[in-house]
Amino acid sequence: MHQFVFQQGISEELQLFPHITELGAKKNQAIHLNSFPQSSSECIRVYFVMEGKFEWRVNDGSYILYPGDVSLVMPNKKFGGEKGMLEIGSISWIHIKISKQGNNELLTGKWSTLSETESQAISKVLLINNIPVLSKLPEAGRILRYIHDEIYNQEIGYTTRANQLIDELFITITRHLTKQNNRARDFPKVFMQLEQALRQNLSQQWTVEEMAAIAGMGTTLFNEKVKNYSGFTPLNYLINIRISEAIKLLKKKDVSITDIALDTGFYSSQHFSTTFKKLTGYTPSQFRKNNLSQE
Amino acid sequence: MKCIITIELGTNAVRVFAFDLNGNVIGSQRGYYPTFHTEPDYSEQDPDQMFITMLYALKNLLNEHIHPKKYKVASICFSASMHSVLAVDKNGNPLGNAITWSDNRAKKEADKLKTSALGKAIYTATGTPLHPMSPLMKIAWIKNNDKERFRQTNKFLSIKSYIIKQLTDEYLIDYSIASATGLLNIHKIKWDADALKFAGITPIMLPDLVPVFTPLSKLKKAYQSSLGLPADTKIIVGSSDGCMAILGDGVKGEGKATITIEDSGAVRVMGDKVLKDEKQRFFNYLLTEDCYVSGGPTNNGGVIFEWFSKQFGDFKNPFDIEYSMQELIAEASKVPAGSEGLLFLPYLLGERAPIWNANAKGAYFGLNIKHERKHFIRATIEGILYEIYSIGKTLEEHRSIKRLSINGSFANIPFCTQMIADIFNKPVQLRQNFHSVSYGAFLVAATEMGIYKNLDEAAKTVVLPDEYLPEKLNHHAYMKYFKIFERLSTKLAPEFEEIANLQ
Repeated sequence: MHQFVFQQGISEELQLFPHITELGAKKNQAIHLNSFPQSSSECIRVYFVMEGKFEWRVNDGSYILYPGDVSLVMPNKKFGGEKGMLEIGSISWIHIKISKQGNNELLTGKWSTLSETESQAISKVLLINNIPVLSKLPEAGRILRYIHDEIYNQEIGYTTRANQLIDELFITITRHLTKQNNRARDFPKVFMQLEQALRQNLSQQWTVEEMAAIAGMGTTLFNEKVKNYSGFTPLNYLINIRISEAIKLLKKKDVSITDIALDTGFYSSQHFSTTFKKLTGYTPSQFRKNNLSQE
Repeated sequence: MKCIITIELGTNAVRVFAFDLNGNVIGSQRGYYPTFHTEPDYSEQDPDQMFITMLYALKNLLNEHIHPKKYKVASICFSASMHSVLAVDKNGNPLGNAITWSDNRAKKEADKLKTSALGKAIYTATGTPLHPMSPLMKIAWIKNNDKERFRQTNKFLSIKSYIIKQLTDEYLIDYSIASATGLLNIHKIKWDADALKFAGITPIMLPDLVPVFTPLSKLKKAYQSSLGLPADTKIIVGSSDGCMAILGDGVKGEGKATITIEDSGAVRVMGDKVLKDEKQRFFNYLLTEDCYVSGGPTNNGGVIFEWFSKQFGDFKNPFDIEYSMQELIAEASKVPAGSEGLLFLPYLLGERAPIWNANAKGAYFGLNIKHERKHFIRATIEGILYEIYSIGKTLEEHRSIKRLSINGSFANIPFCTQMIADIFNKPVQLRQNFHSVSYGAFLVAATEMGIYKNLDEAAKTVVLPDEYLPEKLNHHAYMKYFKIFERLSTKLAPEFEEIANLQ
C-alpha cells in the first residue's frame, strides 16, 4: 500500500464519511524525536502493524507489537510511542468517531448496518475486555487496505461497501478479542472469567449472545457448555448470581430495596420481588426483616 | 409413593438426587458454584450463592421429577465436603466468604503446631492431620490475622451447618464433619479442650454436635411453600462426602477399601477402631459413635490428567476435553505397562498422604530417546495411580485389604480401573450409574426411616455389579517401577524445597 493520510475536514475523500476522523498508512524510514507522542482522543483508534517492531504505550501499559498485531485504543485512552517516537516500519490506522447518545454503545450512527442488539453486544465486549493489543490478526490489515481502496477508487456502491468494511473490522476485532485469551481448551477458566465479568457488571441487562461473546463462543455451543457445566441455562445461572448478590445487600439496612433491585440487574423492584420470592419463598422485605442486624 | 432426596454440597457443585425407597434413582440435578482465589493460597466460596444454587437445583428437581409423578418426599439428607469454615455474626449472617477445604492460608499455624508435643496430642485426640486445610488451623489463622472478623464472630460453622440453619433455623454439625475439623475428640465425641484453646474459641462458638441420623421436622414455612414440600419433611443432617462415599460402596467390614478419584483422591477403610499411625499419615473420621473412616488423601488425582489433556491433547471441537481425554487414553493403551521406563511424579499441587510435602513437585524421570508422546500419556496416568497405590500400601501396614471398590470420574475410566486392579493386584468393583456419595446419603436416610436396622445391614445390601480382575504380569511390571517411584518421592525432598523457593 502506498502512503497516505485522509483527515476529516481536510481530505475531500472523507466528505461522505463524517464518522471517519482519520484513515492512513505510513512507511516510516527514519526515527524522529516526538514523531509519535502520547495522546488521547474521543475516537476509537485501530492501528495495524505491517512491518517492523513497535514499542507502544496504550492506556498506561507498555506493549511490543510485531507485524500482524493490532492496537485497539478505546475512547479517551492514552496512546503513543513508548519514547514518544515512531520506530522504523509500516503501519496503517483508522480513527472512528463514536456517538455519545447510546448508553455504552460505540458503533451507532446511520452509517453502520449492525443491528442494535449486535452493536450493543460488540460495544459491551470491547468495553469490558479492554485488551489493548491483539496479536496475529492480519485480517485487520487487509480490511483497512480495502477501506482505503474503496474510498480512494470511488467505484459504484463505495460508501456502502466502505461502511460495511468498518463494521466487519469491528466484528473481526471483537471475535479475536474474545478468543485471544483462551485456546478453546479450558472451559472452567473461560466460565470463571465470564462469571467475573457478569459480577462486575451485574446492574446491566445481559443477553445470551453477549454472554457467549464474552466467552468467545457462538450461542449454540455456549448454551450447551454452560448447561452441561453449571446445571443451569446461562440466563438462570445469571439469576443465581443476581439473587445471591441481592441477599448480601438485603442484609445491609442502609440500601433501599429498589436500589438493590437495580444494582443487581432486575428491571424493577416488582420484577426483583417476584423472582426473589419464587426462589426463596420470601419477598425481599420479609427476608430483610428476618435477617437484619438487631443492633 | 415416598422418595428420599440427597443433597451433596461438593467442591464445585451441589448434586441433588432423588431415590425411591429401593434405592433406584428417580432423577438428579446439579448446580455449579464458583470458587474464588483472591490470593494464591486462598480458596473461598460465597455461602449465599451456595444456598441459592442448592435451592434452585432442588426446586428444578422437584418440579421436573418429583411433583409431576406425585412422589412424597419423606426426607432430605445432606452431605458436604469436609474442612470448610464460615464465620457468622450474632444474627447468623456470614462474615466474609466461606473458606473451603482446599484453602492453604494457614500454613504457618500448621507448621508451628505440627512440630510441637501439643500437636501430637491434638492429632491423636482429633484424628485430623495437622494440615492447613484443617478448620482448627483456619480458625487459628483468623484469630491471628483477621482480628476484626474474629472479634465479631458469634459462631464458626461448616458450610453444611450454614445451609441447614437457613432451612431450619438450627445450628448443627454432624459427627463426621465435626471429626474433620481438628477440634473434636473422636474417642470421647466431645470438643477437644486443647484444640479449642489453640484456636482461641469456646464450645459455644461451635454448632451443636449431633449424630448423622438426626432428623429435623422444621423446614421453614417459606421453603415449604416455595418448594412445595409438606411440613413433616424431615431434614437429615447427614455426613461428609468422604464418609458417604465409602458407605455408598458398601465398604463396611474386614478386608475392604475404597478408592475415590475425582480431581483429588483418597483411599479409605472403615472399621470400629482408629488407625494409630506414629507418622501421622492418616485421617480418622467418625461416621457414627462406633464407626471410623480412616485413610489418606491426595491432591493430585484427575486434575493432573486434565491438566495434561489441556496442554498436550488434541481438540477436535472447542472445549471438548472429553474427546481429547479419550484420544489420549486410546494412545496410552498402545504402550505396555510401565511405559517402557518412563516414570512420572504427579505432585503438581504439592502432596498430602503419604509424603505430606506441600513443596513436592511434578517430574518425568527415566526419559530416553525412544520415548514418544504416547509414553508420556501413559506415564502420567501411571504416576497418578502409583501415588494412590502408595497410600493404599501404607494403609495395608495396619489393615489387610483383599478387595477394592472405586468411585469418582477419573477412577471410573475403564483404562484406569484396570490399571488400579493391576497395580494393587486386587479385584476392583464399581458401579457405573451414579454417585457413591449420594447413595451413601440414601442409605443413611433409609436407615433413619427404619428400612434398614442399622448401617451394617444397609451397607450389606450394596451390590457393585462390575468387577475388574488383576493381571499378574502387569502387576510385576508396575512393581519394578513403583519401587523407583517411591524412592524418588522422598529422595527429591531437598530439591523440591529448593525449587519451590524459586517458583
